[in-house]
Order: sequence, then structure tokens, then C-alpha cells
Amino acid sequence: MRVTLAMRPAARSFIPIEAEAIVPKNFLSGTDLSVWRGNRELRLDEVFSVFVEGSADRPEDVEVVISGDGTSRLKRVGEYMDGGKITVLGDIGMHCGNFMTGGTIEIHGNADGWLGREMAGGTILCRGDAADYCASGYRGGRKGMTGGTVEVFGRAGDFLAESIAGGTVIVHGDAGDMAGAEMHGGTLVVHADCSRPAANMKGGSCYVYGTAHGMLPTFKRIGTVQHEGRMLIHFIGDIANRGKGNLFVKDYRYLD
Amino acid sequence: MSELLIRNACVIDPLRGVNAETMDIAIRDGRIVEDVSGAAEVIDVHGALTLPGGIDSHTHICGTKVNFGRYMSPEDMRAGRTPRRGPMHSTSGYSVPTTYGNSYRYSAMGYTTLLEGAMAPLEARHTHEEFTYTPLQDTMANTLFDGNWGIMEAIRDGDTKRVAAIIAWTLTAVKGFGVKLTNPGGTEAWQWGKNVSCIRDPVPYFEVTPSEIIRSVVEANELLGLPHSVHLHCNNLGTPGNYTCTLGSLGLIPDLNKKRQTLYATHVQFHAYGGSGWKDFCSKSEPIARFVNMRPQIVIDMGQVMFGRTTTMTADGPMEFNLYRLHHDKWSNHDVELETGSGIIPVIYRRKNLVNSIMWAIGLELALLTKSPWQCLLTTDNPNGAPFVRYPEIVALLMSKKYRDAEFATVHPDTGGRVPLPAIERELDWYEIAVMTRAGQAKALGIQDLGKGHLGPGAEADIAVYPIRVDEVDPSVDYQKVIEAFGRTEYTIKRGRVVSRRGECLVDGSNATFWVRPKVSDAYDMGKDPDFIEKFDRYYTVRMRNYPVQKEYLNRNRCIETEAGI
Repeated sequence: MRVTLAMRPAARSFIPIEAEAIVPKNFLSGTDLSVWRGNRELRLDEVFSVFVEGSADRPEDVEVVISGDGTSRLKRVGEYMDGGKITVLGDIGMHCGNFMTGGTIEIHGNADGWLGREMAGGTILCRGDAADYCASGYRGGRKGMTGGTVEVFGRAGDFLAESIAGGTVIVHGDAGDMAGAEMHGGTLVVHADCSRPAANMKGGSCYVYGTAHGMLPTFKRIGTVQHEGRMLIHFIGDIANRGKGNLFVKDYRYLD
Repeated sequence: MSELLIRNACVIDPLRGVNAETMDIAIRDGRIVEDVSGAAEVIDVHGALTLPGGIDSHTHICGTKVNFGRYMSPEDMRAGRTPRRGPMHSTSGYSVPTTYGNSYRYSAMGYTTLLEGAMAPLEARHTHEEFTYTPLQDTMANTLFDGNWGIMEAIRDGDTKRVAAIIAWTLTAVKGFGVKLTNPGGTEAWQWGKNVSCIRDPVPYFEVTPSEIIRSVVEANELLGLPHSVHLHCNNLGTPGNYTCTLGSLGLIPDLNKKRQTLYATHVQFHAYGGSGWKDFCSKSEPIARFVNMRPQIVIDMGQVMFGRTTTMTADGPMEFNLYRLHHDKWSNHDVELETGSGIIPVIYRRKNLVNSIMWAIGLELALLTKSPWQCLLTTDNPNGAPFVRYPEIVALLMSKKYRDAEFATVHPDTGGRVPLPAIERELDWYEIAVMTRAGQAKALGIQDLGKGHLGPGAEADIAVYPIRVDEVDPSVDYQKVIEAFGRTEYTIKRGRVVSRRGECLVDGSNATFWVRPKVSDAYDMGKDPDFIEKFDRYYTVRMRNYPVQKEYLNRNRCIETEAGI
């Protein structure tokens, strides 16, 4: 089954739309769903032109395609998603793929903050850039992402994979400040530069194939290793947190 | 004039010696009366268990410390969220909920009066502001005097009357209710990076010992004729082997008051530990309970620990630092100028942890081994041992050996060798539970004469009707029914109005704050004492004239005037 949601131009507004109802599973029982704009509840067809092709009886067979101008104001798309596919032909708003446990989200544009926050499984592909707190935990929480994969082909903002405890995060461009902060498990790979990686890490592995700026002094240099054809410098830390994580960087610079 | 008649109530009212008698309760204008006219609204409760409104004599629900617990644990706010509904505001939080969350959840459990366990005098305004937004319960605040410079200097000079005078001035200024000592001397020592190890250790600079502080403040408290006794959180909380220190502190207390106890020792579970370290940690509830059984001048509360997530918060700063070093999670620490301090950390009590399992057992043992229920009250030191929403489970554990055994089978396997709990057969009855959750509190706080904690004519019409029939349910077998009944009242009535019905709060309430003003002679009025004024203006960051809490910070309030002997 393929559900196409084309955002109506009239539905564009400054106030974001909370669209946690847009999850493949929900479309098995029809399109009679509602979303919220501020304190107003709107029917799905007030915001989108809805087209359904084919039918399905399990979420894995559902693909939701979201298109149109203004999709960057849609929040919480794919929250608690457990199977199927969501394709966004454009940008997406904050909190896309929160708590996701299975299935695939593919974003052709950029993603706003908190992409794949606290996700436990499934795959998120972002063809553009991801904003801050991509694949991270939430305020005060001890565990962020626990499983699954997030791959960003552009750049990522600050606090990438903060509190990650499992799963894999790959960023092909630069990452911002505090990448992998409070990491206790899982794998974070940044193909270009980032700053202050893996601050206060307890466990897990963090790879920086570019330069780590503002490298923290609380990591102990072990030596060099060969990893996927690259020569990387291996650190263990964060010693300040009695951590035993592995940080691999191509190059690093301490603060002056 | 509003009238209400509750018909066919199965009343347990320990302060009047009523035990499960079916009667009608007449209410006029918020007070219980002999009878009402035929025009009164009638509620027929069909023999449901009816008790005076619950009173929590030690809970942390309002004030800077609680609010900092909210502030540093945003993850706690993700639990327990409820939307706005009728007159109910939206709420959130589990161990440190919003003020409305506290108020609604307490009300659903039949609680109508709460005592905030620790208010730093300098930060009293915050506590009173939050009281205003705890609309369904009357409130009062214990005021911290554990590290008060003026008091420690007066104790060093051996001047108990001056101690009393400073307490009187401060209570009046901050609109406090009782005197709280939290780790007396220890919080002040913490400002020097130290602690006191027990009651004979001197506090740095002031050179007074905790035992001197406890003894003088107890005497001063009686000189002032305060309704409540001194409320003591002993030194050395949470340390293995601390029970000797607790016994030493309790042993300092003479019997000075005929109407009530002379010392209220709070959350004694945290102070009843044996062993020399965490490896041989064990329960010492037996010596503590035996000691309390022999001394009518002491009342304790349980400070029960229940398994799960919660937040610990206390004015005992050094203890929280030690806890932080065990848990290695978040920690906050505060210093309150010339008065006290505080610390907060979130914790999780786990069944598979031996120390936590022993702590769980100790609280229950204290309640079961203390012969008189008037001397051991039911609390969790909310939220330190567990959030108060766990009270119904504690009631059921105390009433059912079967439930205790079932729970005991799930805790750490080595617990059996460290605690006497499995050997205790006692099961509390409904009457004893009524004592431990309302009547005992009213007596211990000295508020039964104000019409709290009983249902006699003239009493405030604070009533909890629980959906359970005591003649039909055997609590030792049907403990699940007990948990359900105590978790949600059929009716909670506050000052003659139904405020909560089956868990739904119906009105926005109009609570009152109780505070104390001891009348002292001019010679002991600290507001006119040149030495006190000079020290105040030299060391505090606020001017003395700006220190007292203005009336505008209090909602409805009731001032209790006492005749002081100075």
C-alpha cells in the first residue's frame, strides 16, 4: 500500500503541525486520522491531499510519501513507528522518528532538530543536513538511542548522538560541537570534522575521519590503528567519567 | 449556610476511640456538628470505610529544594502527565510532580493536610507560594534550625531562653509551623567541607555538639509551648552502623510534654542500619523499636523505601554528597547562608540490590515492631523513600503477612539473613492503620485541638470515604483490594465540600496554611535585640526588615498563638 500525503498550500502556517499520527501502522485502518496545529485538532485531509493506492494488512507493506511545501513544519512524523516506510520528498520538522523501533524513514531534504531521538531500531536516512540533537537522548534522560541506524549524508548539528547507548550513527559531512557527548555504547562515525567529540563518554566507539577540534584533554592516547583503510589515532576515555570508550580520530587539535 | 449529611458511614476515629461503628456524620459550614436540618444534602456511603482526612506529617512537596528536584530532573516530568480536565489543571511528574500533581494525587488518596518537612527560613516565600497552588490540602511547614548561627552561638553561651527567642522570632517571620533539625550541626560543618560523625562531634568554629543542639532546641521548643515537638532528622543518615547514633540521640530526650511526644524522629528507616560497611550492612530495627517502645516521649515515622525510581532531597548536604559518590549520577548542592543547606540526587531502589532490599525491610519492621501505632507513623519521607502514591501498597504490606512474604520472595536472596522481617507475624488492623495515617499525625503535630484528625463535633469536616467494607474484606488475604481502596477514595471531603470523587478532583479548593506565633516578652523580642540586629545585617545578604514573609505570600491562613514562658 502506498499512501501519498501532499501538503495543501492552504495548510502552511507558522505554527508547526504535530503529526505523530503519521505512522505506517495507522494507515492500515484507513486515513481517518487527525493532527494538531497549536490547540486546534485538524483532520488529516484538511492538511494534506490524501491518495491511497493498493491495500495492506501489515505495517511492513505500507509506504507513506509526504510531499509539498511546508513539510518542514511537520513535527513528530514517524513517532513510535514499528515498521513500513516513510519517504519525505523535502525537509522535515523536529522530532521525526522519535522512539522508532522498526521500519525506514528516508528524508530527501534536511531534517530539523531531534531526528531519531531515543530510537531503538529501524533505519533513518537523511539525504540533506540534520540539525542539532540528531539521534540523541532527551533532557535529563540517561539513555538516548539504543538501537537501529541513522545515516546523514550532509552535515549534522551540535550534540549529535548525545547519550547514545546502542545502534549506529553515520554522518558523511561535518558534525557540530559535542558529538557523542555522554556516549555509553553504540557506534558514531563522522566522516569529516567535528569538535569536542565523545565528551564524558563511558563506553562505545566514536570515529572521526577528519579533524577533532577542541579535543578534550581527558582522553588517553593509546597508539594508532588501521581502520577501513585509514590510519587513526586511538584514545580511551573519558577518564573524567572513569569511562572505557574508544575514540578514534584522524587528526586532533587541543584548545590553545 | 451549607449542610451535608453522610449516611451509613463505617467510622474509625481513633482520637475518639470509635472503631468501625456505623453512623451518620453531619456537617455545617465546614465543621462537623451534632445534627443538620432536613434541607441538608445527603450522601449515602452504604457502610464504606470512613476515616478522618489523611495527614502526612513528613513530606517534601513545596519549596526551593523540591523545585530544584523538578528543575534538575526534566526526565521525571515525562512521567505521570495528565491533561487539563474540568477544574483540574494539567499535571506532570512522578517523584517530584507539579504542585497540582501533588495536590490531586494526595486528594485522590484521601489526604487533606500536609506538613512540608523542611523549609529553609530564608527561602520561605517560595514554599508559601507553592502552598497557595496546592489547593486541596491544608499545609504547614517545618522550619530548619539545624545550622542557625544565632542559635549555635546562644547554645555555646548556654542561653536556652535566647535559643527560644530566636526560634520564636524566626517562626513568626517566616510563617513556619514547627522546628526541624536536619543532621544538627552537620549541615553547618558541611559548609566547611566536613560533617559530624555523631552527636559528640563539635561543629567547626561554633564548638557546639549535635547533642547540645538537640537538647537545647528541645527545651526551647517546650519553653515556647509550640503545638508540635522538635522534628529531628538524626545525624549520620544512611551510614552503616548509624543505629547507635540514633539511639544516642533518642536517649537525650526527657519527657517534657504531657499532651504529646517531646521528640518526633523522622524517617527512622534511614537511621536504623547495622554493620561496619556496605558488605555487612544489616537491619537494626529491633533495638530502635525496643527503645521507642520504652519511651512514650518519642514518636517516629517509617521513611519506608519502595522499589522504583525516585528523587532524594534533604537539607542534609553532606549525606547527599556521599550518595552522589555511590551513584555517580546527577547531584545538586545548596548553601543557605546562616541557616542550613541542601542536596538532591535522583535514585532508583532495586529489588536485586541487597542494600535496597534491606532498607525496604527495615521500614516495615519499624512499623511492625513498634507496639503502639501512635508512636510509628506511616511515611515514605516523600519522595526520598518513594513517592507518596505508594502509600496504599505500604498499608497493604503492613496489614498482610501473605503480601509481605510474596514480596519478600522477589527481593535479593541474601536479605533473609540480614533482617528480622520474615519472622514477624504481626498484621496491623484497620484501626491501627487509621492511627498511623491520620490520628497519630494529628496528635504528634498537636493539631487535634484545631479540629484535625478526628470526626467529633467541632472538628473540621475533612473526611475520606474509601470504597471498601471492613466487615467483608479480610486484608490479610485480599490485600489487592486494600491497595485499590486506599489508592482512590469514593469521596474526599475537605472543609465540608466534596473535593475529590473516585480520583476526579471537583473543585479548585481553598486551602489554609497553619503557622505559629509564640508570644514572648519584650526582653526576648529579637526584633528589638541590638546584638541580633547587628549580626543579621552584617552577615545576611538581605536586610532584616525585608526578611519576614509578608501576609500577601499566604493564601488563607490560620495563625496559632502560643503563650511562651519567656
